[in-house]
Formats: sequence, C-alpha cells, structure tokens
Amino acid sequence: MDVFGSFALLLAFLCAGYAFVGGIAAILTRHPLLIKSARQAGIATCGLIFLATGSLVYLFFSDSYWVSYVVAHSNRDLSTFYKIAALWSGQEGSLLFWSFLLAIYVFSVLLVYRNKNGELMPYVGVVLAGVQIFFLTLNNFVASPFKVLAATGANGALEVFTRADGNGLNPLLQYPEMVIHPPNLYSGYTGFTIPFAFALGALLARYPGEKWIHLTRKWTMIAWCFQTMGILLGAHWAYAVLGWGGYWGWDPVENASLLPWLTGTAFLHSVMMQEKRGMMKVWNVWLVFSTFMLCILGTLLTRSGVVSSVHAFAQSSIGNYFVGFLVLVLAVCFGAYVKNRDYLKSENQLDSMVSRESSFLFNNLILLVSCIAVLSGTLFPVFSEWLSGSRISVGAPFFNKVNIPIGLLLLFLTGVGPLLAWRKTSTDSLKRNFGWPLIAGLLAGIVVFALGVREFFSLVCLMLCVFVTATISMEFFRGARVIRSRSGASLLASAVDLTMRNTRRYGGYIVHMGMVLIFVGLAGAAFNRDARKDMQPGSTLQIGGYKLLLQGFDTKAEKNYTSERMIVEVWRDNKPLMMLYPERRFFQTNEETGTMVAIYSTLREDLYVVYAGQNPETQAPVIHAFLNPLVKWIWLGGLVVVLGTLVTLLPNRRAVLVLAGAPERAGVQHPQALAPSVALKEGHD
Amino acid sequence: MTRRLIAAFLVFGLTVASSMVIVLSTGAQDNRTHQLGKKLKCMCGACNDTAATCFHVGGAFSGPCGTAKGMLNKIDQQIERGDSDDLIVQSFVQEYGQVALIEPPHTGIGRLAWAMPVLYLLAGAILVVFVISRWRKRPARAFQTAGASSVSGVSPELLERARRRVAEETED
Repeated sequence: MDVFGSFALLLAFLCAGYAFVGGIAAILTRHPLLIKSARQAGIATCGLIFLATGSLVYLFFSDSYWVSYVVAHSNRDLSTFYKIAALWSGQEGSLLFWSFLLAIYVFSVLLVYRNKNGELMPYVGVVLAGVQIFFLTLNNFVASPFKVLAATGANGALEVFTRADGNGLNPLLQYPEMVIHPPNLYSGYTGFTIPFAFALGALLARYPGEKWIHLTRKWTMIAWCFQTMGILLGAHWAYAVLGWGGYWGWDPVENASLLPWLTGTAFLHSVMMQEKRGMMKVWNVWLVFSTFMLCILGTLLTRSGVVSSVHAFAQSSIGNYFVGFLVLVLAVCFGAYVKNRDYLKSENQLDSMVSRESSFLFNNLILLVSCIAVLSGTLFPVFSEWLSGSRISVGAPFFNKVNIPIGLLLLFLTGVGPLLAWRKTSTDSLKRNFGWPLIAGLLAGIVVFALGVREFFSLVCLMLCVFVTATISMEFFRGARVIRSRSGASLLASAVDLTMRNTRRYGGYIVHMGMVLIFVGLAGAAFNRDARKDMQPGSTLQIGGYKLLLQGFDTKAEKNYTSERMIVEVWRDNKPLMMLYPERRFFQTNEETGTMVAIYSTLREDLYVVYAGQNPETQAPVIHAFLNPLVKWIWLGGLVVVLGTLVTLLPNRRAVLVLAGAPERAGVQHPQALAPSVALKEGHD
Repeated sequence: MTRRLIAAFLVFGLTVASSMVIVLSTGAQDNRTHQLGKKLKCMCGACNDTAATCFHVGGAFSGPCGTAKGMLNKIDQQIERGDSDDLIVQSFVQEYGQVALIEPPHTGIGRLAWAMPVLYLLAGAILVVFVISRWRKRPARAFQTAGASSVSGVSPELLERARRRVAEETED
C-alpha cells in the first residue's frame, strides 16, 4: 500500500503538471479540447491525492510498521480514533493532509464551475494547479510520508525491515478535540487558496471585478468559518489539555493562524465596498493575495524553526521551499498587478467622511495594523538578532499590551460601522442610531464602575460590548417591527423572517454578536487567579469561594496509557457542590506524561483544576487550581460566530407570492374568516 | 416596544456587569518574587513561559521546571539582600542577555518593537485619511452605475458586453 500511495502521489504530481502547462496552452490557444483536458487533469490530480491519503490512513489502520511515518506516530494500542489524528501529527503527514484538503476544494471548484465562467476558469485552474504542484513537490520529493524503514544488509544492499511496534502518538494530541482542530484550521488555510486563485485568475484575465468577488464570496466565507473554528478549537484544546490555565499564549504557531484570519476578515468587509460602490478594487485583490501569502508564511514560520515555538513537532529545513514558493507567488501577483492595474481603478467617489465607506476603511486599517503588529512581534526576535546581534524575546505581555487597545477599537467599529449609511450619514441619523446604544453602554460602564471594577480595559470592553449589542439589537428590532406590522407575526418570527430575507446582512450581525460574546470572555482574563499546594488525602485548598478537598487517588490502566486521578470534592459556601477528577496519564510507549484538566464551568467563572504531579522536592502530589472568570462566554461566542456564518451562506428568501391565512385578531369577526388573503414576501439584498 | 428594547439592553448589560463584578473585583495579590518572575522568561529553552508562570507543559511535573525554580530562588536571595527590582532584573540580563526579558526592553533596539505598532497605526490612519480625501475630491463619474465603465483603456461598450457575458455565465 505504501508503493500504491507513492505511485498515486507521483501520478498526481504529473497530472498537476499537465493541468498547469495544458491550462496555459489552453489560455493561449483557446482550444476547447485543451481546456477540457486541463480541467480533467485537475480533477484527476485531486482523485489521486485522495487515493494517496487513503493509502496512508490504511497503513495506520493496518499497523504497517515498516513505514517510517507510521512508526513515528502510531502504535498498536493506539485507538482507531487517534490513528486518524496520527495522519496529520507530523511533518510529512500534515503536508499530505494539506494537499488532501486543498484537493477537496479544487475538486469542488472544478466540478461546480465546469460549465460556467468559460473565460475565467482556465486561469483559475492554472493557479490552483500551480499551488498543488508546490505541495505535491513536497509530498513526493521532500517530505514523503511513504518512506520505508531500511538498513544495509549483509550483502551491502538496503533491505526493508519491520518494527514490532510504533513509537506512539504524542500524548498532547491524544484528545478528542485534536481530531477536529487541525482539519478545521487546515481547511481554513487551504480554503483561502480558492479566492486567491479567482482573484489572480480574474486579474490575469481582466475579468470584471465584481464577478470574481461574487463567485468567491461563499468560498471565502467557508474558509473563514473553518479558520475561526480551527482557532477557537485550538484555544479550547490548549485550555482543556495543556493545564496552564490559559487558552492563548501568543505562541508563533498561534500567531500564524491568526494572521490570515485577520486579513481574511478585512477582506470580507472591504469586499462590500467593491460590490456596492465599485471601490477598493486594488485593495481587495491585494488583501486576498496577502491572506494566501500569510497562510504560506505562517506555515514557513512554524515549520522552519525560524522562530522558537512550543509546537516543535514539525520543524525542519523545509522552510527554504516555502521561502521560494512565497517569493514566486509574490512575484507573480506583483507582475499580474503591474500588467493589469488599469483594470482595477475605482468607479466611484466618496461623499462624506462619516459614511459606511469610511468605516470599512478604518475597519480594514485596524485589522491590518493588528495583523502587521502580530507579525512583526513574532519576527522581532529574529530581526533583533540580525540588527543588534542579541535576541530579544517578545512574549505574551507584549502582544497583550499591543492588541488589547486595537481589539477594543475594532469592537467599537463593529458597533458603529453597520449603522452608518452608504455615501453619507446625516446628523439626525447618527442621533437616531447611536443615541440609545451610547446611553446603554455608558450606563453599563457606570454600574460596573460603581460596583468596584477598576480594570480599565475590562471596563471599556464591557461598555463597548453593551454598546455593540444595543446597535445590533436595534437593527433587528427595527426591521422585525416593519415585518410584524405587515404580517402580524410575533416579533421573534418577524426577526427570523427578516434574517432569512437578507441572510448576508443579518447573518453578519449574528457573527458580530458572537464576537461581542468572545470579547466579554476575553475581558475576564485580567482577573484570573490561581493557587498551588502540596496535598495529602484530607487536605484542602481554598480558591475564591471554592474549597477543594482531596479525598484520594485512583489509578486505571487503559490500553495505551495508565491514568492516575485525583478525587477532589468541591465545596462552596460550606456545602458540597460536586466532584472533580483531574488526571495525569502516563503513556508507556513513548514514556511521556499528559494532563487532563477537570473544569467546572459556569457563565460566571471556570474552576479549573490540574493534577500537577509529584513535587520533585517534597514528593507530595500537587494540585494547581485556577479561577478564570467568564471563559465560557468565549466558547459560546464561537458557536454564535459559526451559526452566523452559516446563516450568511444561506440563500436569501426570494420574492414569492404566497397564499396565507389572514391574521385574525381576537374579538374581530371576519365575514370570510377562511378566505385566503394574498401577502407578498419580498427578498432584498 | 421601545421600552422592552431598552429593558433588554439593560438586562444584558447588567447580567454581564454583575457576572464580571462579582468575580472580578478581587484580584490576586502576587508577591514581589512572583511579580519579578513574571518579567523574566524561563530560560530552560523548552517553553515560552515566564519564570513565575512556567508550567512546563508535557513534563513529568506540571509546574515550574528546575530552571524556573532556580531563577525564582535567585530572585528571593536578591530580595533578601535588599536589591532593587531593576537591579534584580538586570542581573538576569547580564547572565543570559536581553532574551531573559519576557517583553522587549524600553531601551535600545527594544524601543523599535514598542514603536512599530504605533507607527503602523499612525501611517495607516494617515493613509486612510489621504485616500478618503482623494476619493472625496474625485469628480463624480458619469458612469457610476454598473452599466458603464471608468476603466481606462477599455471601451465602455466592450466592458458592458463582457459584463453581460459574465452575468450570463455566473447565473446562480
């Protein structure tokens, strides 16, 4: 099966090569058969990548311990569930997995648009094939996951040998979330290839600007949604498994995932300027280019060892290939832009500084500043070493100090932007739209201040959260009230109807609401507390209003590890509340230890209990407890963001003529109560 | 209904506010060693934590590693000796270099790290204001609707034809 996988990968490389060269020839000659064959080569490439990935999965499931990658990341006792996760747990497998996810996108695009956009698709096909060639080069010639174990035999020739068992999967990855976090994140990274291919293809083909945006909007939303879920799942995994009490450590790998998310978010906003007003065409094209290049740069940073990261699983000399690819992509993008920049000129003017257009510009500014600040902070240790000869650390405190004010500015714009009118906003409109939200925000601030919160950024964050919630609620309320006056339905049903009539706009508001909830959660981080203590059965640890009583320990031998649990009784207000079981796992195969945190989570706070192991000095078991306020709001916010994104992907309810029973008011007799009345439901954008 | 809306805002605001106030108004009182330890990077080379918050993820003990403990012990000794905070931090810089500080110093090249985000914001804001003012000065074009083009070098008729063709091709 390893030979089959290798062969499939090699064939995929050849097919991608044909799709690329044949696609260029098709563009030059416009021969229909050539166009068709290039497209089919693209589809065949994807099919072969699927086969190669299937082969590697089969090798894991069949315990094929003559394959180097399987030996390094699996063992016989590893459960089936985690054998899937082993696919992307190392350099070679994760690069194949990247190709696999990219192939899903490419396959879908080539199939969905096989009979559409005849002028544009050959260009898109060539760009996609170009990206696939790069990753298939790595899969075939640099980091093949199908290498076998071999040693020099007695006759001097290399002989394949089989190990009895594998080294096992990294314990940190043996957690259910790890089976869904990387696929989500990688789906985000690879998904941004589609808007990139359409943007570059449209620029090369001088295709009318608003059309490529129309075509790629849903693909961009899907990629963005995956990236968002990937980031949040990663944060939740870090929180629930690593046992350090936090969810975001500003590690270079985390930063790398945030960079394309920030530019992708900027693009999703600025794209509306082009659709509605024919403006920011150059900006949008470069935002898409940048988002794709940041995906590659992020991969370069985390796999090359340029910056030190705790995610050291995938560091190697592979970075040089990414540098080369990045330079090539930049050169192609720049060349295409220089050649066809006249096609990207704006078609409109701006009427007022106080307008939706300006708010989008400032929104983009803030997102881009945040992105560049995170990027330069991540790279600063390297720069400082180059410039001064001594490495300077840039840790979490720096990123927090820089990004908290930026985040709050963005939160403010989240409330302001959607309520400003296109072209020009009148003073009356400003008063009407912002009066109540401002009052609500200020009132919340006064209440919180009066109750004793003095942490500046948390106070401002809370005020802004209430302000933004008010603006969003008013938008829903106003629209729903109009529908209710026509249909007589309840306000809630009218709000749902309103959302379904313009899914993009109101789905966007739901996403904003999710971000507000996330910010509420982040505001709590300034007030995290922790306590650590050597414990014996019967000892207690007090943290906040909770008392933790250690009742004892139990051990359990699982197939792949041995678990030791603390049995902790939690008391609050002198009453027993619940039992928690923080756990340490010892993985025999790779002789590593992992933690399983026990969390009692409420909207108010998380009681987060870690069994830290034996104190090396006293040999006593140590309990480390954290009280982390408002963390649950972050995960709830993430769910709302995903829900909102899904709503934006739904088609608008079209204008349809429906027959509906007339709303009947209590006490009012209609002569023809059962006679249908005609109501017109309209869709609008 | 407006009253209900206002009530809803207040309920939301007060729910969040009270949640926060109840749990946030009392912060942890860290001692001096811990505070100084939070300014220094754990120099074990295997984590990116501070000396005070090193949990050494993946290690046999999820707590300060030997290096972090050594650093905290040294801080304790220097505090007992009566050294100032600056002197204690500088002693680690002398021993390990600037890399011992968890965030860039406000001296030398470290200033650049702190200045960069501010410079980005200023440069970006100037650029945005410049772009907006240019857009405002631009004469309104006769072809603001989708029916015509402002693209130089491409005739409006040609672009209109292209748009019609594209519209047909991209019909959902």
